[in-house]
Amino acid sequence: MSPRGLRAASIAVAAVGLAVAAYLTIVHYAGGTPVCAVTHGCEVVQKSAYSELAGVPVALLGLITYGAILVTLTRDDEPARTACAFLALAGFGFSAWLTWVEVSRLDAICSWCVASAICMTLLAGLSVARVLRAPAGQAVTT
Amino acid sequence: MSAPTSTRRERLEQRRADRRAAERAAAQAAARRRRLIRLGAAAAVAAVLVVVAALASSSHGTANRATTASAGKQAAALFAGLPEHNGVLGDPKAPLTLTEYVDLQCPVCARESAVTLPTVVRDYVRTGKVRLQARTLHFIGPDSERAARVAAGAEQQGKLFRFLTVFYAQQGTENTGYVTDAFLRRVAAAAGVDAGPALAQADSAFATGRLARADADATRLGVSGTPTLAVSRGGGQAHLLAADALDPQSVSRALNAELAR
Repeated sequence: MSPRGLRAASIAVAAVGLAVAAYLTIVHYAGGTPVCAVTHGCEVVQKSAYSELAGVPVALLGLITYGAILVTLTRDDEPARTACAFLALAGFGFSAWLTWVEVSRLDAICSWCVASAICMTLLAGLSVARVLRAPAGQAVTT
Repeated sequence: MSAPTSTRRERLEQRRADRRAAERAAAQAAARRRRLIRLGAAAAVAAVLVVVAALASSSHGTANRATTASAGKQAAALFAGLPEHNGVLGDPKAPLTLTEYVDLQCPVCARESAVTLPTVVRDYVRTGKVRLQARTLHFIGPDSERAARVAAGAEQQGKLFRFLTVFYAQQGTENTGYVTDAFLRRVAAAAGVDAGPALAQADSAFATGRLARADADATRLGVSGTPTLAVSRGGGQAHLLAADALDPQSVSRALNAELAR
C-alpha cells in the first residue's frame, strides 16, 4: 500500500474507532447500557471497576486518543507520523490489557470494546508501516 | 586527440555521480536509522504508559480481591466451630429455628448480615438456643437466581452461611450482571467453598429444589420483602418474627420473648 493509501486507511479506521468510543462515552455519562446483542457482556464491562482509570472513564480516554490520532493524521511529516505511531501503540497495548481483563477477570466480552481493540490494532500496524515506508527527506505537507 | 579529454570528463562525471549516489544512500540509511530510533522510542514510551495504566486500572481489582479475602476471614471467624448440615447452622437440637428470607442481591440483606447476624450467631446460635437457616429468594433479577443456585452448591459443602456472608460483603449494584462465574468463584474461594463443584451444582435438580422450597415457604408465610425473619419451635409452624431485622437489640428482644414462651 502506498504512503497515501496508508494514511487514508488510518483516517478511516480512526474515524470508526472515534465513533465507537463516542457511543460508549455517551452511554457511560447517560448511565445507560450499551446495546450488546451478540456477547451480552457490555453492561458488566461498562459497570466494572475497570471501566474507569483514575476516575476517568476508559471510553472517554479512547475518544481522546482517537481524536488525537486523527489530529496527527491531518499532517504527513515525520513528527506527525511518529506521534500517530506512539498514540496507536499505546492504545493497542491498553486495548490488549483490557481484552485480557474481560476474558480472565470479568468473564464477559463487550463487543464494542472488541471493535475498538480491533481498530487500535489496525491503527498500530498502519502507523508503524507509515513511519517505516515514508519517503526519505519528505517535505512537510498538509 | 579529443577522445582522451572526453574520457577524462566522463570519468569525472562518473565519479561525481557515484559520490552523489553514495551520499544519497548514506542519507537514506541515516534517515532509516533515525526513524527506527524514533519508532523504538515511541514504542518504549507507549509500553511504559500502558504498564502504568494497567497497574492503575488493576488496583481496583486487586483491592476487590483483598476485600474478598478479608470478608472470607471474617466469615470464617464468625462461624468457626459451628456445625452446618443441610443449610442449618448450629445445634440441630436447639429449641428455636430462625429462618432468614433473603435475596443475595438485596442491599438491606447485606446490611442485616453485617449488623445483626454476628449478634444472632454469638448470642443465640453459639449458645445452642437457636439454629439458623436461610431461604434464598430470587425476585430481584437473574443475578439473584444465579447467586442462589451457587449458594445451593455451597450448602452441599456445608458452607452456605460463609458463602452468603462473603457474597454480601462483595455485593454489587442490583441487576448489573456482576454475578459472573469469575465473581462467584472469587466469593466461593474466599468462603472456603470448592468453587468448581459449587458452580457445577447451579443447574442441578438440588439447586432448583432449593429455589422452589424458598419460594413455597415465603408464599406460605406471606413474606413480602427481604430480609424477613421467621421463627418456629421444634418442628412446629413458623411465623414471622416481630422485630426490625436491622436492629440487633430488637431481634434479641424478639428471640428472648420466643424462647421464654
